[in-house]
Amino acid sequence: MNLITLNFGIGLKILSKKNKNTVTIPNLYRLLLCKTNYMEKILSVKNLTKKFKRTVVNNISFDVERGNVYGLLGPNGSGKSTTFGMLLSTINPTSGDWYWFGQKGTDPDTLKKIGAIIEQPNFYPYLDAETNLKIVAEIKGTPHTRIDEVLKTVGLLERKKDAFKTYSLGMKQRLSIASAMLNNPEVMILDEPTNGLDPEGIIQIRDIISNIAKQGITIIIASHLLDEIEKICSHVIVLKEGNSIYCGRVDEITANNGYFELKADNNTLLLNALEELQWFSAVKADGEIIKAQIRDDASISASTLNQKLAEKGIYLSHLTKKKLSLESQFLELVKNTNTHA
Amino acid sequence: MLKLLKLEYYKNLNYKPFKVFTILYFAILIALLFIGLVDLNVFGGTVNLKEQGIYNFPEIWNFTTWIVALLKIFLGLIIVFSISQEFTNRMFKQNTIDGLSRKEFIGSKLLTITIFTTVSTLIVFIIAMFLGHQYSKVTDASKVYAEVYYIGNYFVKLFTFFSFLMFLSILLRKSMFVFLGFFAYWVAEKILAGIEAYQKLAGIPEEQKKAVLENDFFITSLLPLESMSNLIPNPLMRLNMLKVMGVKYDAHYPTESMIACIIWSVIFIGGSYWILRKRDW
Repeated sequence: MNLITLNFGIGLKILSKKNKNTVTIPNLYRLLLCKTNYMEKILSVKNLTKKFKRTVVNNISFDVERGNVYGLLGPNGSGKSTTFGMLLSTINPTSGDWYWFGQKGTDPDTLKKIGAIIEQPNFYPYLDAETNLKIVAEIKGTPHTRIDEVLKTVGLLERKKDAFKTYSLGMKQRLSIASAMLNNPEVMILDEPTNGLDPEGIIQIRDIISNIAKQGITIIIASHLLDEIEKICSHVIVLKEGNSIYCGRVDEITANNGYFELKADNNTLLLNALEELQWFSAVKADGEIIKAQIRDDASISASTLNQKLAEKGIYLSHLTKKKLSLESQFLELVKNTNTHA
Repeated sequence: MLKLLKLEYYKNLNYKPFKVFTILYFAILIALLFIGLVDLNVFGGTVNLKEQGIYNFPEIWNFTTWIVALLKIFLGLIIVFSISQEFTNRMFKQNTIDGLSRKEFIGSKLLTITIFTTVSTLIVFIIAMFLGHQYSKVTDASKVYAEVYYIGNYFVKLFTFFSFLMFLSILLRKSMFVFLGFFAYWVAEKILAGIEAYQKLAGIPEEQKKAVLENDFFITSLLPLESMSNLIPNPLMRLNMLKVMGVKYDAHYPTESMIACIIWSVIFIGGSYWILRKRDW
């Protein structure tokens, strides 16, 4: 199979005879694209601002590249949902532009390439899951055969004839994921997909999302559950009071400020040696353990440090290199901008 | 078009208020058309509307459309419930996110309105035609079709009324508010009409007042509810018992009300679209 036939074959299905699994070409095509074309911008937001009575979203800009998973972080009321609302054409912006797939603004045809879940699952409560999805399929122009496929993916196929109002919150949330996946979207927007779910529900949703991410679909996810973002996202955008205060890779935000935990027989000697090395922004004793914060511009491995100290005749009884979790990094970021403001 | 029709079909198919009121409406509509066949008990005496000439051509068009137009409130409830539930269930927002444009949303609701109005008009036309041929004293074509324009007026009257309700539903979003809003508007229109009449009559001698009321042009008669109501004037004056008493009725086509209604429909539909675009959802 070569790329050219693949390009022409979009929308067809290949039937693999062995296991009778169907592989839809759009997904394969997307997978190839994300391998070959890393830099393609799916979404580009420029100076987006929304004022209600106060400024809710203040002049934020960021880019979303194909195949990555983006986390939109921020405390409640930081403007995440408003930003999504504008990008999905339900809220009119005060100023600023954005481009979906290089095209300005959001028209109904663009929305058909996007799968979105907002705040809470919205469906006609008196209709069953199947009819609800038929409505979505009609709007998006998707064949009705997709309905059973997506219901199976989220494990709701057996309940498809039951009215939406009889569903538990977890099932409702899974149905909205099914609905968002209906049209084989190129990008998915998830606003607090695990909000209010029990631990089991959270795990189910997280599994579904990481499966979607594996298919090469670009995902933008808003959450205030930071360990969750850390687990599934490759990039983060941090919002605070409507301002974007960080935008970049997750591993960069967490790698910036690693630190060492050390212990030696003579801690005073060790403290002096560490301070002489100039690699650290702060060195302090925390009981038996010494904590050394690596400077932002320094890159240093545990073995190099161990070697250096051994050369100085200091032998360690304890050495670990630790990274700050996204949570503490996030709190750090939010705190920093507080003092600046 | 077919897409919008399917959407409305799926949305309303299992919606209880929709089904209940639709069945209720068409049942009562058909029953009411046959009202002339029963003896009514009014003030101790019996009145048979058929004997009073309501099924005579050409008056039958005026009588039947005027009587069944009272039922439009049932259809109005269907329209209000089915539109306001889109907002209370946040489905308009969801539909938009899924890729339904504002125009398509309005289009789908107008489609429902048009279908209901058309079906209702056809039922009235067919049954009135049947009743006329059964009970009318005259059945010459010239008499039969003399005032058939009331059927067209009935269509426009219903369509304008439902466009108004659609506009109110999109503006106020909760069915309870729509009913209150409609009532408040109705009162307001009456008050305005009262003020205008009071101003025109001020300083005019008593004996000329009646002439002024009958012949002067009132701006408030162009307001939505008043112009809708003028499309099909009250036919009570055409009852046989009043004819005997020498009451005259002159039928003329309500041109200015027709134009007003069409303009109001355009305003309501355009206004609905404007609200959907301008508001943050």
